[in-house]
Amino acid sequence: MSCVLELKNIGFTYGKGTPFEKRAVDNVSLHIEQGEFIGVIGHTGSGKSTLMQMLNGLIRPTDGQVLLDGRDIWAEPKKIRQVRFKVGMVFQYPEYQLFEETVYKDIAFGAQNCGLQGDALDRAIRDAADFTGLPPALLDKSPFDLSGGEKRRAAIAGIIAMNPEVLVLDEPTAGLDPMGREVLLSQIVRYHKERHNTVLLVTHSMEDIARVADRIMVMNKGRLALFEPTREVFRKGDTLRGYGLQVPQITRIMQDLRRRGLDVPEGVLTVDEAFAALLPLLQKEGKLW
Amino acid sequence: MSFISIQDVCFSYEEIEEGKHVTNAVDGVSLEVEQGEFVAIIGHNGCGKSTLAKHLNALLLPDSGRVLIDGDDTAVEDNTYAIREKVGLVLQNPDNQLVASIVEEDVAFGPENLGVEPSEIRRRVDAALRAVDMYDYRGHAPYRLSGGQKQRVAIAGILAIQPQCIVLDEPTAMLDPSGRQEVISTLLKLNRTQNITVVLITHFMDEAVLADRVVVMDSGKILTQGTPGDVFSQVELLKKHRLDVPQSAELIHKLRGCGLQIDKIPLTQEDCVALLEEAMR
Repeated sequence: MSCVLELKNIGFTYGKGTPFEKRAVDNVSLHIEQGEFIGVIGHTGSGKSTLMQMLNGLIRPTDGQVLLDGRDIWAEPKKIRQVRFKVGMVFQYPEYQLFEETVYKDIAFGAQNCGLQGDALDRAIRDAADFTGLPPALLDKSPFDLSGGEKRRAAIAGIIAMNPEVLVLDEPTAGLDPMGREVLLSQIVRYHKERHNTVLLVTHSMEDIARVADRIMVMNKGRLALFEPTREVFRKGDTLRGYGLQVPQITRIMQDLRRRGLDVPEGVLTVDEAFAALLPLLQKEGKLW
Repeated sequence: MSFISIQDVCFSYEEIEEGKHVTNAVDGVSLEVEQGEFVAIIGHNGCGKSTLAKHLNALLLPDSGRVLIDGDDTAVEDNTYAIREKVGLVLQNPDNQLVASIVEEDVAFGPENLGVEPSEIRRRVDAALRAVDMYDYRGHAPYRLSGGQKQRVAIAGILAIQPQCIVLDEPTAMLDPSGRQEVISTLLKLNRTQNITVVLITHFMDEAVLADRVVVMDSGKILTQGTPGDVFSQVELLKKHRLDVPQSAELIHKLRGCGLQIDKIPLTQEDCVALLEEAMR
């Protein structure tokens, strides 16, 4: 595997030299490999959004370097636009950014600016719509006639159509109902599997991220507090609570059972895993048919 | 008579284009909520729960049926202001509902508009900010607060009107886990210590399990209702209607499917651990 993104001691200070000076990100260094699915968690104000905005040059770090495919993205500030095509960013509540006459044109906007034309453009749009679960019949509609969930999908499709090497999603499921969350999440997982692109998913839902991420970044007070495989991170319940975060309910239940002497594995992340772990134990006790 | 009485209410949004099939956003809902109750309403996006919430303080009026608040019909214009003093509404996005540049001025906005005496406003603002644990921030600018803090200021703004009931439409959707915790514990405290009726609309099942009663809506109708224990036992029904159950409930439901004899569906971590430990013996 090759390293797609590398951060070298990056930091960012808002309002430098003013009374409101605030160190939002402090001395973060890390590597992300091509094709990884990374979860990003941290409470409000932990610096995770600021960090994400530095990944595609929306804000310029006040210290350190961001390397994309080994090149400093700020080496030639005039070419920063190219970086934004390679690192696609889906902001919170992206449905407010829709503006075109039709869904098709809206999805096309970014890809067109990347230089895609003709058949390639058409295919990129239709593939992106498919990945996000937008039926072709909706493509000719005005984006403003769609439901909230459909608008969200259209906005995400607009980024996916650019086929970014790295896709950053900031709380893509906020405000959706449980099934809507589930469907959108599984579509992102499918996109990741089929395209083998790198995905960074910022979320407040520990239950969701536990199921999908390879590794998790935990931000606290502007610093990278943890960056480890998902199972390792959720083993550290007490540490996470100290950062104002939680581990999934199912992980806590299994931890409690383990503490009480039951022979169940550590760091269980999903209901299915817990079920699989408990089944043989209950069978042995003759509690099942 | 109940504090809130919703009687066979139907409501549809007018479609701008002609010839479109108009479906009722709220379709024949009847619901009674007693003073001091904590009711959670759950349901997927578009099930009509927000539309129903807007009927509770006369922001929307029923096409047919009636909504009575403390005995007053919301459709009678003379009642509107009295009803809005009794039922306050908190919305999803905290940034859309704070109006002033200082926290305490924002909280004072409601009582000022009602023409309350200045000394009484001062007293109410202080009490409201203390109730939501934001008194230390009274001189701050709202935009510098976290999401959870902003929502608590919004709740304080409603408390300053001294309502009998607070209706909240997904107040925690935009908050992080600790912000959610702050808002929910504030609501529980207000409900238990001041007997304020709370109607909480939410997509988070871990919030709904804390209510006295859970109402499940689907396609503008009430699908089922009952105590959290009763409602979340119906795992299949909820899943079929795009809803979720707590992970503890899902685990026990799956184990029951393999023959495990457990009658109760646990909603919390503690209950689930106790039940499983018991089963292992």
